[in-house]
Amino acid sequence: MTPERSNRGTRADGFGPDLPHGRWRAIWLAWRGVAICLVLMGAVAPARAETARRHVLVLFENNRLLPANVLGDRGITSALGEVDRSTEISTEFLDYPRFSGAAYVGTITRFLREKYAARPPGVIIVAGDTALDFVLNTRAELFPQVPVVHVGVASSFLTSRPPLPEDVVGVPFAQDFAGTIAQALKWHPQARHLVLITGAAERDREWEQDLRRAAGGFEGRVSIEMLAGRPMAEVLKRVAELGPDTVVATPGFFRDGAGSIYLPADSVRLIARAATAPVYGPFVTFIGTGVVGGWMTSFEAMGREGGAIANRLLDGQAAATLRLPQMMPSALYVDWRQIERWGIDPDAVPADAVIQFRAPGFWQTYRKEAMAVALAFLLQSLLLTALLLERNRRRLAQSSVDRHRFELAHASRLAVAGELTGSIAHEINQPLAAILSNAAAAEMMLDRGTARPGELKDILADIRRDDLRASEVIRRLRALLAKHEVERQPVDLNDILSDVIALLNAEARRRRIALSARPVGETITVVGDRIQLQQVLINLIMNAMDALADTPEEQRNIVLSLEGSATDATIRVRDRGHGITAEHLPKLFDSFFTTKRKGIGLGLSIARTLVEAHGGTITAESAPGEGATFTIQLPRVAPGGSAWVGRA
Amino acid sequence: MSSSPLVHVVDDDDSLRTAVVRLLTAAGLEVRAYASAGDFLLHPLPQGPGCLLLDLRMPGPSGLELQRALQNLGATLPVIFFTAHADVACSVEAMKAGAVDFLMKPVEPQVLLDAVHRALERDRLLRAARADAQDLRARFALLTQREREVFDLVVAGKLNKQIADELGIAERTVKAQRAQLMTKLGAESAAELGRLAERLQRLPEGPLDAR
Repeated sequence: MTPERSNRGTRADGFGPDLPHGRWRAIWLAWRGVAICLVLMGAVAPARAETARRHVLVLFENNRLLPANVLGDRGITSALGEVDRSTEISTEFLDYPRFSGAAYVGTITRFLREKYAARPPGVIIVAGDTALDFVLNTRAELFPQVPVVHVGVASSFLTSRPPLPEDVVGVPFAQDFAGTIAQALKWHPQARHLVLITGAAERDREWEQDLRRAAGGFEGRVSIEMLAGRPMAEVLKRVAELGPDTVVATPGFFRDGAGSIYLPADSVRLIARAATAPVYGPFVTFIGTGVVGGWMTSFEAMGREGGAIANRLLDGQAAATLRLPQMMPSALYVDWRQIERWGIDPDAVPADAVIQFRAPGFWQTYRKEAMAVALAFLLQSLLLTALLLERNRRRLAQSSVDRHRFELAHASRLAVAGELTGSIAHEINQPLAAILSNAAAAEMMLDRGTARPGELKDILADIRRDDLRASEVIRRLRALLAKHEVERQPVDLNDILSDVIALLNAEARRRRIALSARPVGETITVVGDRIQLQQVLINLIMNAMDALADTPEEQRNIVLSLEGSATDATIRVRDRGHGITAEHLPKLFDSFFTTKRKGIGLGLSIARTLVEAHGGTITAESAPGEGATFTIQLPRVAPGGSAWVGRA
Repeated sequence: MSSSPLVHVVDDDDSLRTAVVRLLTAAGLEVRAYASAGDFLLHPLPQGPGCLLLDLRMPGPSGLELQRALQNLGATLPVIFFTAHADVACSVEAMKAGAVDFLMKPVEPQVLLDAVHRALERDRLLRAARADAQDLRARFALLTQREREVFDLVVAGKLNKQIADELGIAERTVKAQRAQLMTKLGAESAAELGRLAERLQRLPEGPLDAR
């Protein structure tokens, strides 16, 4: 609540009702509410501490370790602490039935009176029938004015006594033997026998009466066997021989027929362990001992109820004015392991039953972990997918680059072929014309009878030779123009040179240019694509031819030379044309750079791309007026080798 | 017309040249073949009848260049161009220079033979016309100065009397000289004289339109 915060709040209000601001505002208001509460409590709490001293004496009828007492105590303590954490709680255990008798009662009474003389309780809470009985009997000597709240008292106990004084209040619970037996018979419809077990202590005898009453309602359906006040050994022997048509119901007992003392829960544990039939019992504390379950009241809930009543009495409310429920609510408690053990239909378990020991499924146990792992998997998968997509995309892009280069190279070859149309036509038509003439000549000779056998033979041989000559031209041309897959084969550059010369000879003749190659004696092998290498040379030679167009005829020559070192193969294309000016040299291999009127400036750029795809280099040198020399350097391999690195 | 015509084939392509020679020979023609324009020029210029079958594109001087050279040398052999690849410019130039035909390889052999025969026929006619004109000129040279004067006036459509007046001679003399020159020129009428005059004026130029 600093001014700064207020300012911020005001500003936030001024921003209008858009969502983020609205949320911040809600948080801010919540904080303000908490702050106000803290301030108020700080102001009020000391005042109450001064007005009254809250002291509650809790008397449990039996020992401290009885599970019912532990649960009840927890309920009482938490309920008292909810209203005022400084409430003083004194707890005493009467330790019935181990200690009992008039002398014990007198001793305890004196002890309590003297112990709490200086700090009398504001409220006494008694837990259990016996504790209530004790207080009612000793009240005259023990804090007569102090209101009493009873907890964990069976309604049957209350109805068996005269009405309680006005300042003794509480909500009793019903030991629902009948409900528990009915539930057992419902879950075991095949049951024909009902075995009831109680002990020999006074309380056990009371429960025996209750049990008999409750079981009476089922006599028509099952036969009833009462094991009351028997020694534990006998009981265990009997329950170990029960058939599948039997169910057992017991509240457990405090003392067996042999005089041994038990906690009821402990006695039930032994019985359930030995029994060959399902065991039912009416107390919450039995869950986990081996019983299937039963209609029960939570001891903790009883403790809470008692604590809440004590709070109201401490606050000064008169006991007579309290409006209390008639009975503690009960619920069906089950041990899920037993449900499974006895093959009870899970669907027959009501949805509002309190189920314990149900092994949580994987999902319930490891929900967070599973979600975290699943999320990790998901993220990882997404990452993988993204990376794969990216990789694919890159590969597509790469292959599209390759494809474009491929298409461009092919287009450039088509363009070259277009320029060569004249010489190609010449080269094909020449042999075709010869064939036609030869054929006609032979025909005439035969018609006129002037044919000499030797001459006819010569004619046929010539026809065949010309035919091959024409088809060779077509083959070379088709190899150059076809959209072939790029190869990575060892190639002898000598072959490439002679192929190129063969392809361009006619064109050179047409342009009156001397085109010659200086072959070398040795094989010079590189790895690559024959057609692409041819294309590079064709491109350089055609450029050289263009450069020679205006030079005197005796100067028009182009020389191809080939050299091989240990690691490199070098091809040179030299012309004596007009040369390349110094300012053009650096831009020579750039795309769309051209000095020709009709060029588009892609030829040398493509040539360089192709050479570099073969892991080589291409350079140009020229002195104006002296012509130009283009040098291609490629990695040389041993014949048949494949040391070539690069992409094509 | 004395000797049989000779077809000169100039082509650098050995195979094609051989084939064409075979074809023409089989067709009953006399053929002489040359591997280049230079080869052709190394031989004495053919004087006899014949024609020239020229490849347009050859190493060294091209067909067109050879055609031009022959014209300069006054050779009148009809030229047939024979090419595997021709652009329009080449063919126009060739036809302007007087080529009789322009054939594309590969050509139907019959078309080639027809073209050759046409060229030879043309050569024959040309030679005949040239011989005719020469004969006429020789006869005209026999006329005296006076007879030529009379000839000119007769051809101009003048009557004997008018010619006599113009030349200042007797009409009778004109008549005699007229008969004389008609005998010398082998003409039988004034109309024929007119035609002769026409030929004489036009000779020795060009091919004959009458054909």
